[in-house]
Amino acid sequence: MNNLEALQSRFQNYILTPASSAEISWVGGGGRASPQFQLSVYANAYLSRLKEVLMNDYPALSVAISSDLFEHLAEGYIHHHPSHFFSLREYGRNLPAYVDGLVQSDPRYRDLAWLPELASFEWTLGQAFDAAESGFVSEGDMASVPAERWPLLRFSFSPCVRRIDLEWNVPAMWKALTADPPLEVEAVRCGSSSAWLIWRQELVTRFRSLEQDEQLLLDALRSGATFNDACEMLAERIEADGVPMRAAGLLKGWIQQGLITRLMFSD
Amino acid sequence: MTEADRNQRPFLGYGLGLRRQHYNDVLDTRPDVDWFEIISENYMVDGGKPLHYLDRIREHYPMVMHGVSMSIGSTDPLDYDYLARLKALMERVEPAWFSDHLCWTGMDKLNLHDLLPLPYTEEAIGHVVERVSRVQDYLGRQMLLENVSSYVTYSESQLTEWDFLREVVERADCLLLLDINNVFVSAFNHDFDPHDYLDAVPGERVHQIHLAGHTQEENLIIDTHDHPIADPVYGLYAEAIRRFGRVSTMIERDDHIPPLAELLRELDRVRQIGESGVLNQVA
Repeated sequence: MNNLEALQSRFQNYILTPASSAEISWVGGGGRASPQFQLSVYANAYLSRLKEVLMNDYPALSVAISSDLFEHLAEGYIHHHPSHFFSLREYGRNLPAYVDGLVQSDPRYRDLAWLPELASFEWTLGQAFDAAESGFVSEGDMASVPAERWPLLRFSFSPCVRRIDLEWNVPAMWKALTADPPLEVEAVRCGSSSAWLIWRQELVTRFRSLEQDEQLLLDALRSGATFNDACEMLAERIEADGVPMRAAGLLKGWIQQGLITRLMFSD
Repeated sequence: MTEADRNQRPFLGYGLGLRRQHYNDVLDTRPDVDWFEIISENYMVDGGKPLHYLDRIREHYPMVMHGVSMSIGSTDPLDYDYLARLKALMERVEPAWFSDHLCWTGMDKLNLHDLLPLPYTEEAIGHVVERVSRVQDYLGRQMLLENVSSYVTYSESQLTEWDFLREVVERADCLLLLDINNVFVSAFNHDFDPHDYLDAVPGERVHQIHLAGHTQEENLIIDTHDHPIADPVYGLYAEAIRRFGRVSTMIERDDHIPPLAELLRELDRVRQIGESGVLNQVA
């Protein structure tokens, strides 16, 4: 290890774990501040910068719990997840899994079973916010598909389309917690998990719940099923006669919401 | 520096850092800003609002790109994935130039998201010079390196910061983004005369100047970019223009971001000093 590498290693270790770095003779004594103080500026800035990033990326989560608990959560995450990213945009990526681990293992989080879902929901909103642009299929494009080609038709969805299943009322919680000022809201566990769609339409990030048949059709088509196969799947859940009409209605809605980017003919 | 050298330096005028809080105001009012600087990493995304506004504002204003994650001084290998994304963004923006900092931001594949100073040693000069050359080869153009604010001194440093900076930019044959506020901050923190710094700067390589506000603490000044430019920094800026001639200058504001109108008033003062400084230029 050359001198430069050794110095960078010492400095990085200090910033990541200030308490364990007693030996700081590599810091010069010149200047106005003591060596200890010089280094603490960097260590403190590191913590406060990353905390701010987490607060910006998780605005609801950061006010849903007490400020002390959020400090504990953020500092723990920063300690366990140093950044491997060139952009701070990606830094909070692993927070939902980290929060899930806390809820499973730390008594302070035991009553916050909804917290991992809130974190996942917020992160997914952020993913839709700056997903890639794509072209859109119009209702006219759809109308021009000859009837005989519909069974083998496949659909390509916008990169901004995200699906998430939730057991708690986190979309309602998110709305209340991000209101200005934040509103009181109670976490409520729903009877069963509900399907939610998150996407971006004309720069605005949107979310809405999905009926079971819409979720089935969307999940099937997003995973590459043909229109015919997806309809057969749907026919197992709803009255077979109503399937084509219902599927056509759903597709029309998705087109209007900018979810579909391409029609793919496999024949 | 000869008059010919001065004339070769492109001059964009007086600019601001483009911040999302001002996107709509910029498009709606087309303010009297000569150019904008973008933080490159903020636009290395796949789509959405950042790129939407970037493209629209670029239609009306010249831009330069300013990066914070190249980590040119790190002992890790250069990150060519990062450079590829930077190159793609440069093709999109067609900036007048691009810059990053004379610093390191992490090692062992970590990013501390801070601009950490290098030791002022021959070893560090050789290391950075070689990497700047490779970056310039890869991107096919000269880069601007910016001097950073620092709060730490290293026992092993053998040179002054200004000698280190001059050696790097001359040996690497790159250009200089001179941050006047950073000179002021480091001069206070390390107790040197900022005029000694300006004396040593190779003026013909200064293609851009940064101005910003800072926070004064008891024994230290922190480069926070959350206040208006301080009066002594304006004084140092006037001194720099007197020495180097007209240089494209912009204001960086990253926190407590005021309404655009307030920054425009601050930019007017910068413009006034920049232009009058040229009249008083050292022959």
